Amino acid sequence: MIGSGIKRGTAELAVLSVLHDGPLHGYELARRIEQQTNGALRFTLAALYPMLYRMEQQRWIRGTWETSANGRRRRCYRLTPAGKKKLTPLQREWAELFHALQRLTKVSHA
Amino acid sequence: MPDWQELVRQRLSGLALDPSEKEEVHVELAAHLEESYEALLKENVPEQAAVSAALFQVTDWQDLQRRICAAKKRGHIMKKRLHQLWIPGFLTMGLSIVFLVTLQKLGFNARIVSWRDSDIFFYAPWLVSLPFLGALGAYISSRAGGSRGTALLASIFPALALTLTFLLMFPIDMIIEPIIGRQADFKIVAAALLKDGIGWMLFPGVALLAGGLLAHVLLSLRPSSRETAIG
Repeated sequence: MIGSGIKRGTAELAVLSVLHDGPLHGYELARRIEQQTNGALRFTLAALYPMLYRMEQQRWIRGTWETSANGRRRRCYRLTPAGKKKLTPLQREWAELFHALQRLTKVSHA
Repeated sequence: MPDWQELVRQRLSGLALDPSEKEEVHVELAAHLEESYEALLKENVPEQAAVSAALFQVTDWQDLQRRICAAKKRGHIMKKRLHQLWIPGFLTMGLSIVFLVTLQKLGFNARIVSWRDSDIFFYAPWLVSLPFLGALGAYISSRAGGSRGTALLASIFPALALTLTFLLMFPIDMIIEPIIGRQADFKIVAAALLKDGIGWMLFPGVALLAGGLLAHVLLSLRPSSRETAIG
């Protein structure tokens, strides 16, 4: 299980990565992240929405209201061009961090 | 099935956002809880347990409320500052410069008035126009929800900007002089202008402030605008 500190840091990357595949509303977004990480990353409502609102203020994502077939109003989030721009360096930074940690653990086990 | 919107509304009643924005948060969070609840029912979880499990996603509603406000208001503060101070301030300054240049082109010259062994720069036609511009700045700021302080700051913005520009000439001069290797004129100009500060900054500042105060008083007398002026 990944610790809470690392989870917080990866949360933005997770949201941006999943939204890169297409727009989603909050609940579906949380489910998709959970499924794609085999449950390692799990967003509760309390964790998800403050982060989505903050990312929206930063203009990385944009939320628009949509009405589903059953008449339920839901806010759908999509990646903005600024969000797409943010995603690439973020992915690179995290990949570098994990590679560095992998190397470090291999050295210390040797 | 519980009324999820009402449930969220009760728990997040202290959300310090605009009413429409507050309602949107309530609806969005309620929809999320409802979907969580329905997913649990599909997994054959008993109804009461499904309600509890859905609500268990939030252990501290007060903390959630605080974090939503912080996230939403981050952008609001910048946007508010832009509409309540920078736009009216720069507009007031731009118009006051246009007025000054126009009056000079039309042949209205400044008068030099002697007072206690000093010459005071006195540009009466320009000074007459400044209360109107100060009032305009305060009006735009108040309409954007600016507080009294912000509205008055927007109205005297040209005088403050001018003072700051003159004051900046001293450090600029200190940096430039060693680079160019000779004495620069900035300090002399700034010192001369500061000496004439009464005519360039104090009188215009007072004229702008008078207009700003008047606009603010008039706006606060209107019951509909009283609410928007506080903020």
